[in-house]
This record gives sequence, C-alpha cells and structure tokens, in this order.
Amino acid sequence: MKNGMRSESFAAWAFMAPGLLIVAIFVFWPIIYGIPLSFTDYSVISETHFIGVDNFVKAFNDSNFIISLWNSLLYIIVVPVIQILAILMAILVNGKIPGVKIFRTAYYLPVVTSMVAVALIWSWLLSNNGVINFMLMKIGLINEQVSWLSTSSTALFVLMFITMWKGLGYYMMLYLAGLQNIPSDLYEAARVDGAGRMRVIWNITLPLLRPHIMFCTLISLMGAIRIFDEVYILTKGGPGTSTLTSSVYIFQKGIEQFNFGYASALGLIVSVIIGALSIFVFRFNAKGGVNPY
Amino acid sequence: MIATNRMKPLKTGIRLFVTYILLIALALFMMGPFLWLLSVSLMPGKNVFTNPPAILPTFIDFDNYVKVWQFMNFPRYIYNTVVITVLGVVTNVFLSAMTAYPLATFRFKGRNLVFTLLVATMIIPSSTAIIVHYLTIQAFHLTNSFLGVVLPSAVSVFNIFLMRQTYIGIPSDVRDSGKMDGASEFRIWWQLILPLVKPAIAVIALLDMMGFWNNFLWPIVVLDDPTKYPLAAALTYLNGQFSYNFGWIAAGTMISVLPIIIVFLFTQRYYMEGIAGAVKG
Repeated sequence: MKNGMRSESFAAWAFMAPGLLIVAIFVFWPIIYGIPLSFTDYSVISETHFIGVDNFVKAFNDSNFIISLWNSLLYIIVVPVIQILAILMAILVNGKIPGVKIFRTAYYLPVVTSMVAVALIWSWLLSNNGVINFMLMKIGLINEQVSWLSTSSTALFVLMFITMWKGLGYYMMLYLAGLQNIPSDLYEAARVDGAGRMRVIWNITLPLLRPHIMFCTLISLMGAIRIFDEVYILTKGGPGTSTLTSSVYIFQKGIEQFNFGYASALGLIVSVIIGALSIFVFRFNAKGGVNPY
Repeated sequence: MIATNRMKPLKTGIRLFVTYILLIALALFMMGPFLWLLSVSLMPGKNVFTNPPAILPTFIDFDNYVKVWQFMNFPRYIYNTVVITVLGVVTNVFLSAMTAYPLATFRFKGRNLVFTLLVATMIIPSSTAIIVHYLTIQAFHLTNSFLGVVLPSAVSVFNIFLMRQTYIGIPSDVRDSGKMDGASEFRIWWQLILPLVKPAIAVIALLDMMGFWNNFLWPIVVLDDPTKYPLAAALTYLNGQFSYNFGWIAAGTMISVLPIIIVFLFTQRYYMEGIAGAVKG
C-alpha cells in the first residue's frame, strides 16, 4: 500500500512537471522577482544598483503616477454600469421567443473581436466628421462637433464606453446562465401571488443571481483597474495625462523607457492596492458563498 | 373575467412587440459598428468623413480587399497568426489537461500546497508580469521567435482549474478498471479519461484560440521583426501606415476579424456552455 502511494506520487509529479514548470517561470517568478527588482535602478542601459526605497519615494512624488492611479480608480465607474445593463440584457434574451438565439449571438460579437479592430471602428465613428457627431447634431444633443477622444474632459469616459460596449455580451452570457438555473415554478408561484414584473425581478431574480453578480463584479473590477488595451491603442494616455491609467504608465516606464526597476516598484504598489480591493470584495462576498472555481 | 381573457392575447401581443423592438434596437447598437465597417470596406475610394457621413454602401465593390491583400502580404500575417494560435492552443490543452489530472484524482504529498499556490496567483496578480516576461524570454534567447510569443501563456492557471473541476466529476471506477487491466497511469489518462473530458477541452481550445488570435501587445513587445507579426499586431501597423486610405484599412480589418467570427458562429454552443461553466465550477 505504501509502495502504491509512492508510485502514485511519482506519477502525479510526472504529469504536473511540464505545466508547473511553465507556471513557475511565467506566473510565480514575475510575482517574486518583481519585489527585489523594485529596490534597484535596473535598466538595460547602465549598471544596476541597490537603491533601497528610492523608487517608492519617487513614485509617491511622481504626479503622473498619482494621476494614473486616480484614473485607474475612476475607471471603476464602468463596473456598475456594465453589470446593471448586462443583467437587463440577460433578462431580455432569457425568454423563449422565436429568434432570440440570433440576438444573443449578435450581442456577443464584440466580445470575440480583437480590441485592435474594435478600437479602430470606434475611433472612426467618434472622429470629428464621424457618424456619432453627425447623429448627435441631427437630433440636437450637441451644437458643434466634439473631438471625443482628444478632449481631456471626454476621452476617459469615451474609453469607458468602448470598454462597456465590448464587454456587455460577455457578462450578459454569464447572467443568462444564472437566469436559466432559476426554476420556473418560482416565477409561477410569484405570479399566482399576484406579483408584478418589477417585483419578481427585485424579489426573486436578483437575490438568486447574487453569486453571479458577485463573480462578475469581481472580474470586471479587476479588469477596470488594470485597463490597458483600449487606452494604449486609442489614446496612449493622452491628451496630456487625461487617460493615463496605471497599467499604461507602468508599460511606458518599463517596456518603452527600459526603467525596469522603477516600473517594478510602481507595479508592486498597484498590486498591493488590487490585492487589498480583492480581499475586500471577497470578504464582502463571503456571506454569499460564491466559489468562482 | 371575460374581459380580462379577451385582453390577454392583446397584452401579450404588445409585450412581444415591445420585446422585439428592444431586441432589434440593441442589435443595431452592438452590430451597427461592424456593419458600417463592412459597408466602408465595400466602397472603394469613398471618404468616410464626408457630410453627411457614408453609412450605407451606395455601390458594392471588392476592390479594397484585392488591393489591401496585394499590398499587405496577408498570407504571411495569416500564417504567423495560425502558427501562434495553433501552438498556443495545443500547449494549453495538453499542459492544463496533464497538470490538472493528478490534482483532481491522485493522492500525494504536496497536493494541497500546489493547489493553494495556484489559487493565490489568481488573487495577487502581477502588474508588471510583462516586464519580467520580457527579461525571461530575453534570457532564454527567444525574442523574435513564435515560441517566445507563446511560452508565457503556454498554460494558464484558469485552464488548470477548469480541467480539475471536470476531472472531479468523473467516477473513480474508470481509473480503477484501467488499473485492474494493468494499464500504466499515462495510458489510463490518455485512453480512458481524456475521451470523457472532450467538452472541457473544446472550451479551453476555443477560449484560447480567441485569446491568441486577438493578442497584439505581447507579440509587438517580443517580436523585433514586423513581418513576424500576427494579424492583430499587423493591423495597428496598417492603421499607422496609411491613415487616409479608409477602404483599405476597413477591408484589412474585416479580413482579420472574419475568421474568428466564423469559428465563433460554428462553435458558439460549446463556447457559451464553457463560459457558463466557468462561473458555476
């Protein structure tokens, strides 16, 4: 018996070795190596020195970094908007009416399309002489053309809109899966009791969707704080620093300016903030008993 | 009582009508931008930014597709994308299927430790992973190679979890019966267990296919030679190169997104099930 366990143990490690090796190098190592790196001035160009907490002192005096943190936190606004709209969409496509599957597919297309393509389409639609300005002027919402992506006051919100447009279908499907698990006799019972549509949604649908709401909020929150692709493709943080998010700033410092030490320190600060936020959400969530995996 | 009965079909009729109006309006919002891109790509020589803007095609011509295909060396970019995607999907399927198997079914020392470490990485994300990945790939002398593009995401912790969850659902008799017949652990896994987890493998393959196909940032970082770029990366390049030839850019974009949309349309059933399964676990 003891021998059997030993051979099973050998087989287990043999099965896991290739996968765990990759995970060790590309998942564990970046987390571990990022820590000592943030106490150095490591760059490809010059010699590396240990510089203590200098990077962290510099970070908190770096107004661009503070702005980028603020923009990343501001981006969280997109989370509740996406979740509410996605739940409403899921309720809309949950019915068994003819053709509803075609609509589900249509709403999902932005999710499978690359952000590069999505960004290109929207940058055209949103340009000065673009379709959006034309339509908004036609219905009288604006009087003159707005440069949506190159105006400091609108750029960040336009990026949020694009994030929302691309992500809605994904969350809709997650909520739809939740809705289809709700037994239909619950609805019938409510109807017999004379409950209206709104009451049914509020008292039956939403409470039963709670685990899904928690899960979706968590992943959407993580995505929002670490937002990168749409910002990098469309504005590179501009105009000025109005759309500079922390991921974009870290990328600029690290990959574009080879300031690996400083970028690692910034990354460490952001990781601590994200870690704290996710623990907060998990705590908040513990009562709901969600187990995402 | 009679009145309400007569009102009922009318009421459901109105409700159905309103539902369809909402569904169609939403479909226009979600699909409109793609349809507009399609229409721009089919109108050669047309300026997108006229007043009023060109929304519907006034004529249909595939000239943009022909021209951009000749200009951009698309076969090359498609080849790059396919190689990267196939390599990424195959490594992910095999490595996650192998790594998750003992975690779900074997009893051995260190199992909980491995599992806890994997869970921890999902809670503490590294914000600078891309920087360390770049240094690692450089140390391995793999920059400017497809292997360097694929290796950092050759297996994901998410996929390992998804596979482990699937294996747990398989009755232990399957493995026991294989042992009775004296088969090796590897043969049991390969011949008896893997056929039972095909749906989960399909989900991982599809999710990663879209991920690798659409990935643009890491390929740009790791590949010095733009002729090695996959489509999504090449597209950023195309956009910068001739910013006024809208028809060409639209056609190029359509070429790059169509394959993945077609794959999605044919496999959406598995895909949707997989997405849903990921929450429940």
